[in-house]
Amino acid sequence: MFSFKKAIKYIVILLFLLLVGCHDKTQNTIYKRSVDTKKDVTYVWLKNKENFTKSSYMDVFYNYYNKKLFENKVELASKALEIVCIRKAYYVSFDDVFYQTIQEFDKMYRNKLPVSKTVYINTYYAEINADKGNFKKAIYYTNKTTKIKVIDFESCLAKANAYYDLSFYNYSIGHQREAIKNNFKALDFFKKINDPSGLGTVYSNFSLIYSATENYDQAIKYLDKAITYYQKSNDLNNVYIALHNKIGIYESTNDSRFYSLIDSTYTSFLKQDIKDIDIKISIVTYYTKKLLHENKIEETKKILDEIKPEVLAKNSTEAKDEFDIAMAEYELKKNGSLLNTDFIKQAIPGLIEGEYYQKLQIYYTILKQDAIKKKDFKLALYYEEELKKVSLEFGKRVSRSKVIELDKKYQNQKKEQQLQINKNTITAKNTTIALLVTVLLVFFFIVLAISLLQKQKKLKQEKLNAQLYTKKLLEKTEEERKRIASDLHDSVSHELLSLKSSFEVKTENTNKKIDDIINDIRIISRNLHPIMFDKVGLKESINQMVERAQSVNDFMVTSDVDYNSTLTSSSELQLYRIIQEALSNIIKYADAIAAKITITENNKSVFIEIKDNGKGFDVNETLNNGKSFGLHNIIERSKAIGGEAKINSDKNGTIIHINIHK
Amino acid sequence: MINILIADDHPFTLQGTKVFVESYGYKISDTCSNGISALNLIHLHAPDIAILDINMPGLDGLDVAKKVQESKLKTKVILLTMHKEITIFKKSQEYGVYGYILKEHAQEELENCITEVRKGNIYKSIFLASDLINNTSDVNSELSKLTLSERKIVTLVNQEKTSRQIAELLFLSERTVEGHRTRIIEKLGLPKEKNALLIWALKNL
Repeated sequence: MFSFKKAIKYIVILLFLLLVGCHDKTQNTIYKRSVDTKKDVTYVWLKNKENFTKSSYMDVFYNYYNKKLFENKVELASKALEIVCIRKAYYVSFDDVFYQTIQEFDKMYRNKLPVSKTVYINTYYAEINADKGNFKKAIYYTNKTTKIKVIDFESCLAKANAYYDLSFYNYSIGHQREAIKNNFKALDFFKKINDPSGLGTVYSNFSLIYSATENYDQAIKYLDKAITYYQKSNDLNNVYIALHNKIGIYESTNDSRFYSLIDSTYTSFLKQDIKDIDIKISIVTYYTKKLLHENKIEETKKILDEIKPEVLAKNSTEAKDEFDIAMAEYELKKNGSLLNTDFIKQAIPGLIEGEYYQKLQIYYTILKQDAIKKKDFKLALYYEEELKKVSLEFGKRVSRSKVIELDKKYQNQKKEQQLQINKNTITAKNTTIALLVTVLLVFFFIVLAISLLQKQKKLKQEKLNAQLYTKKLLEKTEEERKRIASDLHDSVSHELLSLKSSFEVKTENTNKKIDDIINDIRIISRNLHPIMFDKVGLKESINQMVERAQSVNDFMVTSDVDYNSTLTSSSELQLYRIIQEALSNIIKYADAIAAKITITENNKSVFIEIKDNGKGFDVNETLNNGKSFGLHNIIERSKAIGGEAKINSDKNGTIIHINIHK
Repeated sequence: MINILIADDHPFTLQGTKVFVESYGYKISDTCSNGISALNLIHLHAPDIAILDINMPGLDGLDVAKKVQESKLKTKVILLTMHKEITIFKKSQEYGVYGYILKEHAQEELENCITEVRKGNIYKSIFLASDLINNTSDVNSELSKLTLSERKIVTLVNQEKTSRQIAELLFLSERTVEGHRTRIIEKLGLPKEKNALLIWALKNL
């Protein structure tokens, strides 16, 4: 049997399961860095950032790398190579030997490894090209990297970095539209791996793009955001790069905080143990600018001389250029003109070819200043015009307003995407809830329906049982009465007969007395059970009943029986009893002039009608007052033989209709 | 000399009946105490008369009579019973029973009954009529001649009801009421004039 308690238990379990299911679905995918279980000591050592600046770093790497290749453990070799690539790119430290190693690996071993494991090679190629100002090639390699499928933390990081790089390269050659596009993509993927350092670089890029389009307020805002992320990930190098960029912006806007920011940045930088010469030279360059501004020429020279060996030791074009620029400015200040502007002039065609407008701007500025110092105003004017052209070129790809528009567009797109995601989530949630509710409701109704059905079935069964019981009870009663009647009739009467003939002296008196007793017994027995009902049949028994009522009770009853014994004998007997009861009621209470009993039948049912023209009674009241045994008797007996009794009564008389299904 | 079969499941009654019948000078061919034996013996010995009780084990008296009738046997059946029931008598007539007498009045009626039945007449106990006792000991001797229906009609005529109204009140057809009226007038010997019954009723009730 289905109980409600059980049902509720099931519902709760269902609910729980569905909720758990929903929860899983609505969570965003965030890739986590897989924990490296292999504890290869050398690899771990290579991976440690601090070791990169040690002189033995590359030797350790080559030893390890060649050994692994020799052991045919290509994957481990590749991993070591990758970590070195990353370090070298990060510190912008490129050397030809390592480049050859990479190329060799690319040719011989790359195809043995899955694409996702070797994308770093593309990245490295791109970085090298970018460092040389060859951004178009860098973009070509980086684009390859963006094609990889995101399957885990590493692939996601690679993709994010690739988009970031694309953005930066595009920025550098003035393709600001592409820059913004790619930067947003990078933002997406960095968010997926929840990498604050990566996010920092993305925001830093935004800042650069805004600077390029002279939207400096926005640029500063993004830069500050980037710094926050860098600090969060404890990425000091980048914090200083960002600060350096900020100084650059202040320079462009002639901000009064320009020199104080240089000072504070330089001072705090010296306190940090940052080995990266690129950052150092960048910051130093600004510091020397400040010194030159304050006319501290000797100090400038001293600092530049100090840093020179470090710059030369590192094979970085960028660092070298920056150092040269600082030197050039120093020269300008000290001598009033550059001793040698050839290195700049030589670099210019390459930069124009590579569309490296950012650097071109700086070079033209120096050349212009140099020309002014040399009082060669015609040349100065030429450089001024070139500078304007370059600036125009730098910003031309996307006008200032266009960038904002693009930014907004992407922001909106972003918001819309987020909204869509939210909407989808909500829709999914709503759908789930609706589904849940529906399932619950359906479940509830099913349970309800089942329990109702069962209840109904039970009630029906109980009713059936009760009816069966009534029927049995009635039959048993009849049997009992019949037995008593026949006992009286057969035994007692015969005993009396024998008594009658046993008297020696027979007197009329005793004989009559005995006959009277016999007659009394007849009446009792007849009242107990209609004599030989089975034999005589319903029709004749009713006729007899009618005749007896007429003669004994002097009551006018007529009968019209059109019935051919189609019911069982026990049903007929019940019918007889019903009519007997009805007639007895009429004689006792109805105060009627006459009554009529009609029995008709068709092939489905037998119809009985007992009517009188008496004073009538209130049927409902009589049925409910608890005294109407006779009426209940009629109703219950009708039910017991599968029939239904209807009683109608008013002041003109009473009609009882009984309909019995065959 | 005729042969008589007696069947009764009460030994005492059987014995008594046998004594009576023999005392009348008839020969008892067989006696038995159940219906099946009785039927077999009737088939076997073909007695002229079979005196049967109704209530017997196996086949009752009526059943035996029915079989006898169905088999077209010459044996004439007399029912000797405790059942003082008109309905049973009527039923017995359907089965071609010749005599119907009550046990307590056997002494008075049996001889006469056998005699009548031998002649081929039907004998019905004179005591059977009192099965439907009319309790209304009406003082009006004229009215006691009438049946219940007739008396009811007279009463209603007295209340100046029309035949149609009477028919309605007694759940009879108007034609039946008219028939009753004619018979009442005959029984009371009233003149065949209009309203004779009404006048009589008003005067006598």
